[in-house]
Amino acid sequence: MNAPGPPRDVAFARELHRRGSRRRAERLIGASLQLAALVSVLTTFAVVTVFAVETFAFFREVSIVEFFTAPTWTPLFLDTSYGIAPLVSGTLLVTAIALLVGLPFGLGAAVFLSEYAGDRTRRRIVPLLEVLAGIPTVVLGYFALLTVTPLIRSFVAGVDLFNPLSAGLVMGFMIVPTVSSVSLDAMRAVPTAMREAAYGLGASKLHVVLRVVIPAALSGIVAAFILAMSRAIGETMIVTLAAGQMPNLHFDPRETIATMTAFIVQAATGDQPAGSLAARSLYAVGATLFVMTLLLNVIAQRVVRRYQEVYE
Amino acid sequence: MNPESGRRSATVAASREARGAVGLMDEAGRARVRRQRRAGRALGVLAFVPVLLSLALIAVLLLDTTRRVVSVQVIEPYASGQTFAFAQAPFGGDAVARLDMRAQGMAGSEVDTVLSDAEERRRYYGRHRIELMWRTQDGPLRWVVTHQRDGRVTDVDLIAGLLRWSELREGLADGQVLAVNPWLDAGFFERNASRAPVIAGLRTALVGTLWVTGLVILLAVPLGVGTALYLEEYARRGRWSRFLEVNIRNLAGVPSIIYGILGLYVFVRLMNLGPTILAAALTLSLLILPVVVIASREAIRAVPSSLREASYGLGATRWQTVSRVVLPRAVPGIVTGFILAIARAIGETAPLLLVGAAAFVPYLPDGLLSTYTVVPVQIYSWVSEAKPEFYRLASAAILTLLGFLGLLYAVANWVRRWSEAGR
Repeated sequence: MNAPGPPRDVAFARELHRRGSRRRAERLIGASLQLAALVSVLTTFAVVTVFAVETFAFFREVSIVEFFTAPTWTPLFLDTSYGIAPLVSGTLLVTAIALLVGLPFGLGAAVFLSEYAGDRTRRRIVPLLEVLAGIPTVVLGYFALLTVTPLIRSFVAGVDLFNPLSAGLVMGFMIVPTVSSVSLDAMRAVPTAMREAAYGLGASKLHVVLRVVIPAALSGIVAAFILAMSRAIGETMIVTLAAGQMPNLHFDPRETIATMTAFIVQAATGDQPAGSLAARSLYAVGATLFVMTLLLNVIAQRVVRRYQEVYE
Repeated sequence: MNPESGRRSATVAASREARGAVGLMDEAGRARVRRQRRAGRALGVLAFVPVLLSLALIAVLLLDTTRRVVSVQVIEPYASGQTFAFAQAPFGGDAVARLDMRAQGMAGSEVDTVLSDAEERRRYYGRHRIELMWRTQDGPLRWVVTHQRDGRVTDVDLIAGLLRWSELREGLADGQVLAVNPWLDAGFFERNASRAPVIAGLRTALVGTLWVTGLVILLAVPLGVGTALYLEEYARRGRWSRFLEVNIRNLAGVPSIIYGILGLYVFVRLMNLGPTILAAALTLSLLILPVVVIASREAIRAVPSSLREASYGLGATRWQTVSRVVLPRAVPGIVTGFILAIARAIGETAPLLLVGAAAFVPYLPDGLLSTYTVVPVQIYSWVSEAKPEFYRLASAAILTLLGFLGLLYAVANWVRRWSEAGR
């Protein structure tokens, strides 16, 4: 019985057409969403390409050996020298001071919030700590330069106006929330049963915290430390404002230095012509910074994945 | 969590009881237990110290910034050196300008021509600052007109200045004005950038920040939410989607100054946009994109999959499911994450210094391709001026910025609470 009347045929054709156009629309939407996702891939690609091209061009004029071994960085002087060591040492000095403050403080805050504070206290304090991470870094730089530096100078003799000490101290407080929130998550993931077992064996709170919770959460804590280090190395405004812009190869926290980030700002806001070697050195320094932070981030992710103990 | 912690404290109590049981332990053992218990408490106190210090640091920062905003100044006027009673010109503005010009010896008709000619008027306001000051040597609450070329004889912190008020007043030379100067007042938001600190204001930077932020919202919302939707709802689990995820996580850890270098190379130089609002917005959009994607993904993932399955079961297509079922549910989470990302973009300085916001910009931006400055960059350049009066301007701008960011955080918090209450 094959008797489809012409009207039914038309309706069916219309229905088919409607479905077809909807499918096309669906496919279009899917494609455009994928295009949006491509932007982040393009970003990575662009960063890597820019650094590769410019650094390569830079190393055609400056020997790579000089870059890594020469003890002075003076691209803006008449007697130019491109040794990144002073910038790296400056960065590491400030970072070390920041970590000296930030790690124990962040870990302490995490221990307090996870093991001592009640739920309500935790819910109140965590957002307050997050405020520290939310303060724009230019404000922290201003604070380091105008409040902390004069304070330090009134106590310690021989401190330069721009010094890594105050920049590092303030940066240490900046990374406290990073360390504490990641460590806190790791400590909270330690099952209560483990603590109970320890208590049941007669352990005191001190032992539970130091010998059970912290070791069990160690992978998260180490990851927090590495992430904090990466943030400290990449931090720009605090060091530009408070630590100075004089690349000096020394490890005295009282004397002016320049970090890699501070040099990048200096080179970009100064008035060297765009194609000059001095301007190009910005990319070589940027590439070094990029590689350092990327490595740290990848290591942090690895640490979490490989050493994380999964509790059921 | 509550039943758990209740159980924990019950366990603790039980173990204490067991340890304290008479006869099981000798005196030395009990002393050891007491010592350990004390050490445990001490660790708690010790662990609280960093929390306390961090909060104290925030408090000190706020207090010290606020303290720096108000100062006592001895002004040596370039032109008139008069102060005018509030009652003479209760509405300020032109009325005070008129009084000032008359005091400088201009005839009434001359004053009228200056005020009616737009160009002359702009020039007058570009050189003068009219300010209602709480306390002057002529009495409280008077209008003080200051000229760009006024000399600042002294600039003293508020408290020291008030303590030395009579001494300062004795020391005034002829025609000098002594006044309490509130740097953060309504006029601060109306004045453009200027090389002279007294008549410098935040208006250019505020307008620049609004332009850039608006544009970042337009760019980053579709890109960020689109990427999140693709990863959560469209992409098949596999190598490609895992690569995308790792890539986004790594991008989130890249220092902001690297984005500045990227923006400088690609947008400013390669695409030849120059130091413009558009270049800044593109750079900042890329910077916050990973944060937006991560927050949106979490919000989308929190939508129960039973809802999706019900929608598919009713014959809905993928986009119908996404747009009518998933997205409406995920909006509060996406909005919260996005506000936080925008707050980060607003406070960001380093990448904008690289893409050219550093230039001194005395005029308002008038389009996507105009030069600009933003509030954090303005703060940076004021701090770099290394003069007390510019520090006061920077402090005023910082309080403005922090107030605005605080407002954003409050809104984000409110959206989160509101959506949680609605569940």
